[in-house]
Amino acid sequence: MIDVPLCNGLIGIGALCGGGAVLSLRLAWGLPMRSARRNGMGWGLLLAGLGLGATGAGAWGVAAVTITATATAFLCLAYAGLRARPGKAVASNRRAHMLPEQREPLRIGGRLLSFVLIVPLAMLVALLAGLALRAGAVRLGAGEADGNILSLFGMPLIWALLVGALLLWPRRRRQWAVLGVPALLSALMLFLDRAVA
Amino acid sequence: MSRTIPKTLVQQGLSAHAAIGLLASALLYIVCLTGMVTVLYEEWQRWEQPDAPEMSAVSPDAVQRGITAVLASEKGRKSTEHLYVHLPTSALPRTTITTDHQAVHVDATGAIAAKELNGWSEFLLNLHYTLNIPGMIGGIVVGALGAMMVALTLTGVIAHPRIFRDAFRLRARDKGGIGLADWHNRLGVWSLPFALALALTGAMIGLASVNGYGLAQSFYKGDVEAAYAPIFGAEGKPDAKSAPLPNVAAALKVMTVRFPELRPTYVILHEPGTAGQMVQVLATHPHRLIYGENYNFDATGHLLNHVGLSDGAIGQQAAASTYNLHFGNYGGLPVKIAYVLFGLALCVVIATGVSIWLGKRERRGFAQPRLRNGWNALVWGTGLALITTWLARWQIGNDAPFMAIFWVSLALMVAAGFALPGHVRVRQPLQTMLAGGLALTLGSLLT
Repeated sequence: MIDVPLCNGLIGIGALCGGGAVLSLRLAWGLPMRSARRNGMGWGLLLAGLGLGATGAGAWGVAAVTITATATAFLCLAYAGLRARPGKAVASNRRAHMLPEQREPLRIGGRLLSFVLIVPLAMLVALLAGLALRAGAVRLGAGEADGNILSLFGMPLIWALLVGALLLWPRRRRQWAVLGVPALLSALMLFLDRAVA
Repeated sequence: MSRTIPKTLVQQGLSAHAAIGLLASALLYIVCLTGMVTVLYEEWQRWEQPDAPEMSAVSPDAVQRGITAVLASEKGRKSTEHLYVHLPTSALPRTTITTDHQAVHVDATGAIAAKELNGWSEFLLNLHYTLNIPGMIGGIVVGALGAMMVALTLTGVIAHPRIFRDAFRLRARDKGGIGLADWHNRLGVWSLPFALALALTGAMIGLASVNGYGLAQSFYKGDVEAAYAPIFGAEGKPDAKSAPLPNVAAALKVMTVRFPELRPTYVILHEPGTAGQMVQVLATHPHRLIYGENYNFDATGHLLNHVGLSDGAIGQQAAASTYNLHFGNYGGLPVKIAYVLFGLALCVVIATGVSIWLGKRERRGFAQPRLRNGWNALVWGTGLALITTWLARWQIGNDAPFMAIFWVSLALMVAAGFALPGHVRVRQPLQTMLAGGLALTLGSLLT
């Protein structure tokens, strides 16, 4: 591990880069024409900041730089909010199709089925997929700790992805496929894992 | 190749975003708001019991005396299976000993000074962790909300094709929904890394019981402890034969000599007073996200090993980093303040999300004033209900029924919001009461 003053120095410079990156992007995105050079400078500074943070103190350094960059962005937003003048732009009225309007049917059965697919069934499929990930990772040589944590982190992430996919493709047949294919593959993986063991 | 996102995908993304938002927003808002307040968990404990003895450090011998005194005070009761000593830290400079039966503060000499009185802080933590739902269900519900929050961020990005071009555009004073949408989108975009980190770590913590059960059933013959052992280490084999208390002072002295750069934060005794007892010292590492490393000692204070949270498998280090990353206690007060502000931004994102949806319906001619009132009652009433519990702590004391006060008052406010005639608006009265409550809270903290 590098010594503390150097670590602090790297993180300090990294944090400055993170804040500078946001300011640079603010300038770049405010231009009337897209500027690859300015955009590149902003993203480059951000990468440099994260790299310095990681070099200085690993995940802690990355978190510190991210907080600085986010805080700078919020300051920019506060400034934009303070300077904003009342406008006359018209907001979107687009329907999200969540509740019936006029005399549309309530579709309670369909809504309940959607809930069942998105919450309990998608959770079970995600659990199965997380366990399959663990089994596969350990078979490929990962340690038990890495495999188990892959399952613990993987399950909620897979659930979120399934929820997104199910709602992006609202046709029922496709929804069953979105759940069925990963469920079958995961079950197969777990079955093979047991058979080999 | 076109660099634009197909319009249908954007529209489906918006619909998906709205669907998840409407499904999860109410509970997610409560979890986010209480999470924002929970960031200051240690500070709340100090405010709850300002006269508890404080110290910047405590000597190993005083810790030993404290443990002996606490266990002596429990003679005649069922032996405690675990004993925890919270050692003074900069955020909570107190020495507190917790057993299965009690929690007490000890002074710098190790003498028992007072019973720990942190009922409100514990209620707050429990509300955030489980929404006060007993058993494993609460954690699962909150974990599920974390997964929904991940899905919300993903669909939010898909639904927002001008995410970069508009990143700093905030028409804060525009009426007719534009201002509200800009607040929602800008705060949502810039809090995205924070929201993702919080949601994923929260989901992982909340759903750990389900996942742990799955891992145990699939790979460890149903033994949940065995599933976690590769990550957090295993407990020693119990041996109920009576034995002298372990030499904790020796263990702490070894820590000082062997690891002067580390700061011990907890001493954990497993099965104290038995032949199978084990001493663990949890110590924080500077500039690390991990909550600490567990150093295992035998009863004589001889260092056996460490679990590997600091230098073991990547999975162990990632697991140990989850909690600090979620609660923001890895960089002192500045990081906590940042977490409070970012948490507030997340609350605004959730609150404005439903308001935007309601506004769109109103502009299409489907005004639902009662639904809007109900939502406003939840948004402003959650903070008010929480403040009411704090004021109850201040006026009634540690044993006030915080859970009942919170849920009953919130339920009444939301019910009133739905029940009142449409022309009666609840937002402004609730905002006024919230401002008054905040002033009273500030007053209680300063007295």
